[in-house]
Amino acid sequence: MKQSKTRSLLQQQRTWGWIFLSPWIAGFFLFTLFPLMVSLYLSFTDFDIGGKPHWNGLDNWRRLFNDPATSHSLWITLRFGMIMLPVSIIFPLLLAALLNSKYLAGKRVLRVLFYMPYMVPAISGVYIWQSFLNGQTGLLNRILVWAGMSDPPDWLFNATWISPALVVVGLWGVGNAMLTMLAGMQGVPTEMYEAARVDGAGILTRFLRITLPMISPVILYNLVLTIIGLMQYFVLPYALSSQTRVNPELQFINLHLYQTGFLYGHMGYASAIAWFLFAIALLLTIFVLYTSRRWVYYAGG
Amino acid sequence: MIKHFRLLIVLTLLVGVLVVTASPVAKAQDRVKIIWFCCLGSGDNPQQQETQLRVVDEFNASQDEIELEIQITVFADADDAFSTLVGAGNAPDVVGPVGFGGSNRFAGQWLDLEPYIEASGMDLATIPENLVESYRTLGEGLTGIPFAIFPGVLFYNVDLFDEAGLNYPPSVAGDPYIMPDGTEVPWDYNTVTEIAKILTVDANGNDATSPDFDPTQIVQWGWVDQYGTLRSEFHTFGANYVVDENGQVHIWDNWRARAQWMWDGVWTHHFIPTNSELNSDLLAGNAFNSGRVGMARTMAWYTCCMNDLTATDTSFDIAVQPAYEGTIYAPIDLDTFRIHKDSKHPEEAFKVLQYLLGEAAGDLLNVYGAFPVRTELQEGWLQAKAEQYPSVTHWEVIPNSAALAPNPHHEEWYPNYNEGQDRFDEFRVLLFSDDGGSMDVNAELDRLESDLQAIVDAGG
Amino acid sequence: MAANSPQMQISYYQARQLRRFGLTALVTLFTLLLLSVYLMPFANMMTVSLRDVLAVSKLKEVPLLPEVPSVYNYEGKDYPVFQVTIDSEPKELALVKPGRQVSQFIDPENPDAGFIEWEGNWRQLVQVQKLAPRWENFEEAWTQVRFPLLFRNTLIIAVVGVIGTLLSCICVAYAFARFPIPGKNILFVILISTIILPNQVTLIPTYIFFSEINWTGTWLPLMIPHFFANAYNVFLLRQYFLTLPKELEDAAMVDGAGPLRVLLQVIIPQSWPAIVAVAIFHFVFAWNDFFAPLIYLLGKRDLQPISVGVQVFNARYGSRPDLIQATSLMALVLPVIIFFLAQRFFMRGVVITGVEK
Repeated sequence: MKQSKTRSLLQQQRTWGWIFLSPWIAGFFLFTLFPLMVSLYLSFTDFDIGGKPHWNGLDNWRRLFNDPATSHSLWITLRFGMIMLPVSIIFPLLLAALLNSKYLAGKRVLRVLFYMPYMVPAISGVYIWQSFLNGQTGLLNRILVWAGMSDPPDWLFNATWISPALVVVGLWGVGNAMLTMLAGMQGVPTEMYEAARVDGAGILTRFLRITLPMISPVILYNLVLTIIGLMQYFVLPYALSSQTRVNPELQFINLHLYQTGFLYGHMGYASAIAWFLFAIALLLTIFVLYTSRRWVYYAGG
Repeated sequence: MIKHFRLLIVLTLLVGVLVVTASPVAKAQDRVKIIWFCCLGSGDNPQQQETQLRVVDEFNASQDEIELEIQITVFADADDAFSTLVGAGNAPDVVGPVGFGGSNRFAGQWLDLEPYIEASGMDLATIPENLVESYRTLGEGLTGIPFAIFPGVLFYNVDLFDEAGLNYPPSVAGDPYIMPDGTEVPWDYNTVTEIAKILTVDANGNDATSPDFDPTQIVQWGWVDQYGTLRSEFHTFGANYVVDENGQVHIWDNWRARAQWMWDGVWTHHFIPTNSELNSDLLAGNAFNSGRVGMARTMAWYTCCMNDLTATDTSFDIAVQPAYEGTIYAPIDLDTFRIHKDSKHPEEAFKVLQYLLGEAAGDLLNVYGAFPVRTELQEGWLQAKAEQYPSVTHWEVIPNSAALAPNPHHEEWYPNYNEGQDRFDEFRVLLFSDDGGSMDVNAELDRLESDLQAIVDAGG
Repeated sequence: MAANSPQMQISYYQARQLRRFGLTALVTLFTLLLLSVYLMPFANMMTVSLRDVLAVSKLKEVPLLPEVPSVYNYEGKDYPVFQVTIDSEPKELALVKPGRQVSQFIDPENPDAGFIEWEGNWRQLVQVQKLAPRWENFEEAWTQVRFPLLFRNTLIIAVVGVIGTLLSCICVAYAFARFPIPGKNILFVILISTIILPNQVTLIPTYIFFSEINWTGTWLPLMIPHFFANAYNVFLLRQYFLTLPKELEDAAMVDGAGPLRVLLQVIIPQSWPAIVAVAIFHFVFAWNDFFAPLIYLLGKRDLQPISVGVQVFNARYGSRPDLIQATSLMALVLPVIIFFLAQRFFMRGVVITGVEK
C-alpha cells in the first residue's frame, strides 16, 4: 500500500518532470536536430557551396587526420585555451568578490561600469581594439611610451605579441562570468560569514572556505561554458585576420573551419572538422561534469 | 499569481501554434519576385546604397510584372551571406556590381546570357569586342555583359607635391617626369622611388632622404597601392598567368621585382606605410583620403569615395601610372551585374539586368565611380565627375588608361582559386607586417610558389 | 554588561565606524583605479565617437582627445594656425603656403598686410588646436541609421526573446534540478552538446529550414526558437536551483503545494539574481546579435535591428568608425539603464532568502 503510493508519487513526479522538460524537447526536435543531422551527413560528402553533395564515405575524415593545418590549428586553440581558461575564471571571480564587498561604495554604478564592455557590440569592439592596440597611434602604446618604454610592441602585426594581445582583449569579455558569480554570491547566507568571523577566520579563509564552495555550481557552469567558448573561439581572430591572416598564431580551429567552409566553400570537409571539434569539446565537457562531483557543492542536490 | 502564470503559458503556446501554422504564406501576387544581391564588389557606401534603392523603386513603379527587391550587405559580410544563400539553395537572381575577383570566388555559378541576349535583341554594338570576349570565360558561355570599366590610374595629392616643391606626374603615357633640378627622367618606378622618398616626412619635418629621418615617427608617406591586391601589384610590372598550360605555377621574375620594390619601399625607404601605419588613426584604413599620402595607385572606382578630400579643401589630381622597364602596365577592373544559374526566373532577371545596364546605368555608374563601357554614356559621366571633384584637371587620363591595361587580367581564374587567392593575401600581409621587416623576399616568394602549386594541384 | 559606561560604548562605536570608513575608502579607491584601467578602451570609443574625422587630416599628429585645428578662413579657404616667432615676437599665423624651406603665412589680425614669409621647417612649429567634441556625429548617426525605427525593432526582438527564454528556461532548468527523470544525466549532456557544434556548419541547414517554412524575411527565426529553451541559460538556472536548500520546498509540499506552485512560490522568489542574470544575458545577446538578423532579414531594411543597420558605416571604401561608435554608444544607453535597474532584483532575491546585506 505504502509502496504503491510512493511509486505513484514517483510516477507523478516523473510526469511533471517531462512536462517541465517539454519545451526543450519540442525545440530540440523542431529546430536543433535537423541542422545537426544535416551537418553530420555533409561531413561524409564532398559538398561544396554552389554544388551538390555526393557521398564520399570517410574521405573527409581521412583528410582531417592528415591535414597539417588542422593539427596546427588544434594545437593553437588548446595552447591558448590553457592560458585563457584560468584567466577567464579567476579574473571574473576576483572581480565579483570585489564588487560584492560590503566595503565598496557605489556598488550599483560600479557593477554596471564593469559589465558595460560586455554590452559593446562586436563591430565597435573590433574598431576599438584595432585602434587601442595599434602600434603607431594606439592608446596603449602611447601610455607605454609615456611610461618610458622606447620601442613598444606592434601588438596586432607581430607573431610574438598577438597572443598576449588576445588575452588582454579577453579580459574585457568576462562580463557574463562576473555577473553569474555575483549572482551566486548573493545566495550565500551572511550568517555563515558571521559565524566564521566569530571563529576567527580571516578574509582569505572565509573566501576559500565559504564563498568558493557556495558558488562552486556557478563556477562549474562558467568552466564548462568557457571550455566550449574557447574551442569555438572565433570572433576576435576572425575580425583581426582580415589584416593579419598571415599570422599562424591566429589560426584557431574554428577560424580554420570557417575558412574551409565559407571562404573556400568546402562545406563537406568543414563539417567533418566541426564534428571533430565537437567530439573533443564534448569529451572535455563530460570529463569536467564527471569530476565536478568531487568539488561542486549543491545545497539542495 | 499561478493563474496569471498559467494564462501566460497558455497564451504563449497559443501564439506559438498560431505562428507555426499561420506562418506568413507568400501573399498571392502576380508579380514575379526578383532578388538583386549587392555588394560582393562595390555598392555598400551610403550614397551608393541610396541610389540603388532609388533605382529599385523606379523600376518597380515603371512596370507591373516584376517586383525587384535589393538585398544589400556590406562587402565585409557579403561573401558569407551569399555563401549561405547559395548553400541553402536560395540563390539570388541578379548579383552585382561585381568584378572578376568577386565573381571568380563563385566561379561556375553564373548563367550563360547568350540565349537571352539573342532573344531580346539587345544591342552590344557600342561595346568593344574584346571586352565582351573577356566575359566569355571558363567554357560557361557569356556570363556577363560589359558595363563598368575602372582603368588603373594614379591619384596624387597636389598640395603635398607643392609643399615638397615637386613637379606633378605626367598625364600622358610616355611623357617624362621633370625632377626638381630640371632633369627629365622617364616616368617609371625608379623615379617613383626617388620622389616618394621626398614626399615621406617624419614628425620633425625631415624627409626620407635626410640622414635625420626617423622612421618610427612618420606622418606622411609617398606611395600607396590603395586597396591593392598582390596580383594587381604584380601586374603593374607586367601581366602573366599564374598557372601555365602545363599546370605549372609561376611567380615570374618581374613579379618578384615588384615584390622587392614594395619591400624596399616599406622597410628600406619607408615611403610605403606598413599595415600597422595603414590601420593607425593617421591613415584610418583609407590612406590617400587622409591627405597624408602623396601618390595612390589604384583603379578609377576610387572616384566613388573621395569626398573627404574635397571637404578638407585638399587638391588632388589624376596622373598616368609609372612604367616598368619602359612599358606602362595599368591593371584594370571590370564590373557588371550577373545572373545566378539557379535563378528560378532567368527571363525576368534578364529584364532587370537590361534595366540596370540600360536606363539606370547613368546614375549607377556615377555613384560607383565607374567609367561607362558604352561610348554614348562616357561624356555625361566625365561631366558629373568634374562637378564632384573640381580640383581634378586631367579626367582624360581615365579613358586613356584603359588602353594601358595588361593582359591577362590580374583576377584571372585558376584551379582552387579561393584558397590560392588567400595564399597571395598571406604573402602581402606578411610583407607589410612587423614580422615582414626581417623576411627574405625571394625565399618567401619561393614558398608562395610551392604552396600555390600544391593548392592548384589539389584543385585538379 | 551594565558596568560599561556610556562613554566607552560610544568610543568603541566610533572606532568601528572609523575602521569601516577607512576600509570603504580603500576598497572603493582600489576599485576605481582598476575601473579606470579596465575602461580605457571604452574611453577610446567615446573619443572616437566625438572625433571630427576631417579635422584629423589637418592636424600634424593624431590627437588623443577630439581636437580640431584652429583655422583661419582666407579668401574662401581654411588654413591651419601655427605659433610662429617673427622678429623674436611670438604670433599666431595661418599657414597658407607650406614649403620645405620657406613657408608663407598670413596674419589673421592683419590679413591685408599680405603674405609673411618665414624661413624654416613648418612641421617643427607648434600647431594651435582646440578641444571640439563633434556632437553632430550623434545626430548624423541617428538619422542615417534611422535610429528610432531600428531601435524599436531591436527592442521588440529582444523583449520577446527575453520573455521566451525566461519562460522556457526556468521550466526546463526546474525539471533538470528537481525531478527524477529517467536518463536525466544523458539528457543533460545532450542539452549541453547542442551548443558545442560550431554554428558555421549548422547555419546553412538552419537557413534551409526557416526558408522552407517561409520564416525568412520575418522576425520569427529570431524570436520563436527562444521559446524552446537553450543550453546556456538552462544550465545556469539549473546550477542556481541546485544551490537552493530543499527545506522550504518540502515545507510547501507538506502544505499541499503542487510542483507548479513550488516553482512559482518557492523557487522563483529565491532565484531572482539568477533569473535577472539570464534576462540580462539574453537581452544583451539579442541586442548585439548580428549574423542571424543579417541573413534572415536580407532586403528587409525596415525590419532590421541596430546591429545590422550600423553596418552602413562599415562600407568597403571609407568606413566611418566615428559614426559606428556614436551609434553603438546610443544603442548602449538602454541596456545600461536596464542593467542598473535590474540590480534592485539582485537585492530583493537576497532579502527573501533571509540574508541581509
